[in-house]
Amino acid sequence: MKILIADDSRVMRQIVIRTLRQAGYDDHDIVEAEDGADALAKVTSESPDLVLSDWNMPNMTGIECLQAMRASGSAVPFGFVTSEGSPEMREKAANAGALFLIAKPFTADTFNEHLDGVIA
Amino acid sequence: MTSLASGYGDTGERRRTEDAPLEITALIDEETVQSIVQEAWSALIGEDEFLVPLPGGLPDDAVSSWVEVLGPWTGAVVLTCGRTTAEELSRCLLAEHAPPVLDAEDVADGLGELANVVGGNVKAVLPGPSVLGLPEVGSAPAAGPDVLRVDLLWRGRSLTITLQGSAGALTGHQNDPHKNEVPL
Repeated sequence: MKILIADDSRVMRQIVIRTLRQAGYDDHDIVEAEDGADALAKVTSESPDLVLSDWNMPNMTGIECLQAMRASGSAVPFGFVTSEGSPEMREKAANAGALFLIAKPFTADTFNEHLDGVIA
Repeated sequence: MTSLASGYGDTGERRRTEDAPLEITALIDEETVQSIVQEAWSALIGEDEFLVPLPGGLPDDAVSSWVEVLGPWTGAVVLTCGRTTAEELSRCLLAEHAPPVLDAEDVADGLGELANVVGGNVKAVLPGPSVLGLPEVGSAPAAGPDVLRVDLLWRGRSLTITLQGSAGALTGHQNDPHKNEVPL
C-alpha cells in the first residue's frame, strides 16, 4: 500500500510516519508532500492508495486539495491529520469526502481507531 | 447545517450586542492551557515528559513560535523558550530522524509545530467561529494588556505559553486574510 502524507511541516510528516509504524502499519510505501498543491500533483503522479493530509497549509489547504481531487474524479481514500478538530471542520471534511479527521496531538491508538478499517 | 457557534457560550452575536471585547482570562484559565500543553508534550515529545507549572526565567536568547487566532477573540498563542530548549524539543520531535546537528529550519519547524498543536487546541476551547493562522517563528509579537501567561518547566528549563489579545499589536499575515487561514 502506498500512503501519501501531506503536511507543510517536515517534522510533523516524520511524526506521522513514526506513528504509523508504532500503530503497526510499518510495511507500506510512504510518499511525502509539502502542501496541498504538491499533494494534488502527487495523487496523479504517485497513485497513492491513501492520503493523510494536514488541513492548514500554504498554497493549497488540505480541504481544497480534497475538493479538487473529488472534482477531478479521484476517489482515493482521504483522511485529515490536523491541529484542529472542531465539529464544523469534521462536518466539512465529511461533506467533502474525507473518511476521518484525526486531531493533533494523536497517539498510535488514535491511528488504529481510524485506520484499521482503511489500511489492509 | 449546524450553526458554527453552536455549543459555545458566547456566539459573537452577544459580543456585538454588548460592544465589549472578549478578554482571554474570561475565556480560558491557566489550568486548561497547562492541560492542553501537557497533552501535546505527552503525545509529541514523549509520554514520560512532564511540565511543571513553575516560573523559571527565560534566557536572553529566547525564541518564540506562535499561531494567530482570528474570531470573536483575536490574538496569538505564543510559545517561548531558550534556543537550547527549542533545539532539544525539535530533537525529541524528530526522534530517530534527528540529524547529529540540527539546522535552524528543523528547529523552527519543530517549535512552530508545537505552537500549532497547542494553538489549535486552545482555539477549540475559545468561542467560535474562528480561524487559525500558520505557525510563525521569531521574536514574540508584542503583547497588549489582554494576556494569559502560563510559566512551565520542562526538564528544568523554562518555557512560557502566552495567549495574548491582538490589541493592534499583531503584524504579519493578518494583513492577508486569505493566505493562512482555515477557510470555514
